[in-house]
Amino acid sequence: MTTATYSDALARYFDFGKKPAAMDLALMVVGALSAAVGLGFVFYMLFTEGHAAFNTSSDMAWGVPIAFYLFFLLTSSGLSIIASLDSVFGLRVFYPIAKRAVFLSLLCLIVGFSLLALEIGRPFRMLLVLPFSFQIRSPMWWMGTFYSIDLVLLLIKFYLIHTGNWHSRFSHLVARLSFVICILAPGTLGLVFGMMAMRPAWFSNVMPMYFILTGFTTAVSFLLFFTSLLPRDEVKAPNINHLYREVLPRLFFIALLAVIGTRFGQIITGLWSNYEGMEANWLQLQSPFFWIEIVAGLALPTVLMAFDSINRLPMVQFVAASLFNIGIFFSRVELLIMGQKVPLFKGYWAGYVEYWPSATEWMLLPAGCGIFLLLYGGGNWLLRLSDTEVRSQR
Amino acid sequence: MARWGMVIDLEKCTGCQACTTACQMENSKLPGEMWQDVLFYNEGVYPSGKMTWLPRPCMHCENPSCVSVCPTGAAYKAENGAVLINWETCIGCKYCMIACPYGVRFWAEEKQKTQPDIRGVFPPIGDKVWDPPYKMPEHVQDPKRGVGIQPKNVVSKCTFCYHRVSKAPEGTVDLDPDNPATRDFTPACVVTCAPTARFFGDLDNPESQVRKLIAEKRGVRLLDQTGNRPQVYYLAGEAPAIPETRSVRKPTT
Repeated sequence: MTTATYSDALARYFDFGKKPAAMDLALMVVGALSAAVGLGFVFYMLFTEGHAAFNTSSDMAWGVPIAFYLFFLLTSSGLSIIASLDSVFGLRVFYPIAKRAVFLSLLCLIVGFSLLALEIGRPFRMLLVLPFSFQIRSPMWWMGTFYSIDLVLLLIKFYLIHTGNWHSRFSHLVARLSFVICILAPGTLGLVFGMMAMRPAWFSNVMPMYFILTGFTTAVSFLLFFTSLLPRDEVKAPNINHLYREVLPRLFFIALLAVIGTRFGQIITGLWSNYEGMEANWLQLQSPFFWIEIVAGLALPTVLMAFDSINRLPMVQFVAASLFNIGIFFSRVELLIMGQKVPLFKGYWAGYVEYWPSATEWMLLPAGCGIFLLLYGGGNWLLRLSDTEVRSQR
Repeated sequence: MARWGMVIDLEKCTGCQACTTACQMENSKLPGEMWQDVLFYNEGVYPSGKMTWLPRPCMHCENPSCVSVCPTGAAYKAENGAVLINWETCIGCKYCMIACPYGVRFWAEEKQKTQPDIRGVFPPIGDKVWDPPYKMPEHVQDPKRGVGIQPKNVVSKCTFCYHRVSKAPEGTVDLDPDNPATRDFTPACVVTCAPTARFFGDLDNPESQVRKLIAEKRGVRLLDQTGNRPQVYYLAGEAPAIPETRSVRKPTT
């Protein structure tokens, strides 16, 4: 094959000839700078201080890096679920968003795994040992297995959609498998926490459902966030306008109500119970992260999405989605802290476990978001993310 | 093969922390990373206040939740009943630390509570966390069983002094520090215990001293409701009580 033929082949997949839109360019530049600063700082600290650069400890084993991981992985599953709604339930209204959702889902998974690699003690060993350990009693092993399958299915799914293969039997099969995996993966991630009877503040059979639900809601908010940034001519078609400006905001509102209901149940149960270890629920009331979740993450976006008169406005959608993402991220942080706040057999003298993330941990935020924005901007420029199946545009 | 277990007599324990120190020295542990610790509890106020304490090694559970959750199989139950970590397959995910109800697993990659950071004073060689001045001989170190100077980015825990206990002659029932024939095979915390509050022996042998103590003095296990079934038993006697909770709640006044 000659160089020219290679170029032709690549040109079928990437729009190299197209100039990037101003927004895509801005996302890529901001993303690249943010990733460079974040990753530069984190790598420098990890090379000089090792994982002691994190404020995690023997008493607070999991901290903010795991919250980032939860945030991105659960969002990824939610996005993949949305991308499969058309194939699985015949909800054709979601076709115009399917390709973008699959791409965003892939990015979330990549960023989530990348952040995990920076947090975990021995990431390369994990890649070598985990696939062959077959520790079927460990929820974490199942979680890793499901998310690995998820990654493969997402890659296949995106390739099929990208090459215009929306309706083959294989394409539908992949979409359905992906849907099942995207219920199992976040559900198992919920079990990683929910099965821990020795951590009463986490122990709950609702945890898998809560993770699936919040993952779905962040996915809707991600779609609102990114579609609100699209140029007007890309959302002119009636079916697309209907989806972006009517269906998604209403779906977001309903999902928010479901999250609020679940969270209220969790909070009130936790505050009522006097079982040992559950006092962490009272302690969380003193945490700024908790109130960011309640006010910014739940109350404000719900109000903004409650009224049809304003929830169609791209700016309002952008603000509501941003607020929810910030709130849900801090709720993940608070969830992690709450489960470990009451120490395990340390005596009266030890007190509650204190934890505030270090600068290195916070810098994972620009690192992760930077990678995400850079890849999304590039994808939006080169990969025709607004493509949809032909029949739905009739 | 014996299934080793420990009995700690709380009526004899003085809370002197000699066991803690012996463990630190024996296993080349960093300061603050106490595989064996003594926990203190206050209750009430003057003139009726009291202070109690609880020596707390790893419980080496019969049904250890830390082993169940390990995604790589690095945490495992050894043939002699000890719960060990294979440092060569541990990925440092710390899930076992989350799942242990007794908080007896440790992560060395944390900010040191005391300064100067001892790892800077005795900098590590190769992949190890540090190079302590008091270290276990090289030939005794066994990373597959979590014995020796710990490598970076893995979890560590009490091994029931596997490097000593595993050398005990087959058929040994009690590892008694007062018996010259078994002293070298007895865990360091048991050997060093001045008030002889610790006993170590075969839990499966009805003739062992630990079995008799458990039966005669009503040995109990911590958090039995978890189903982990510890192989460390406490003798509470009449006077001291076993703290039934892990709580840090302030004592009622």
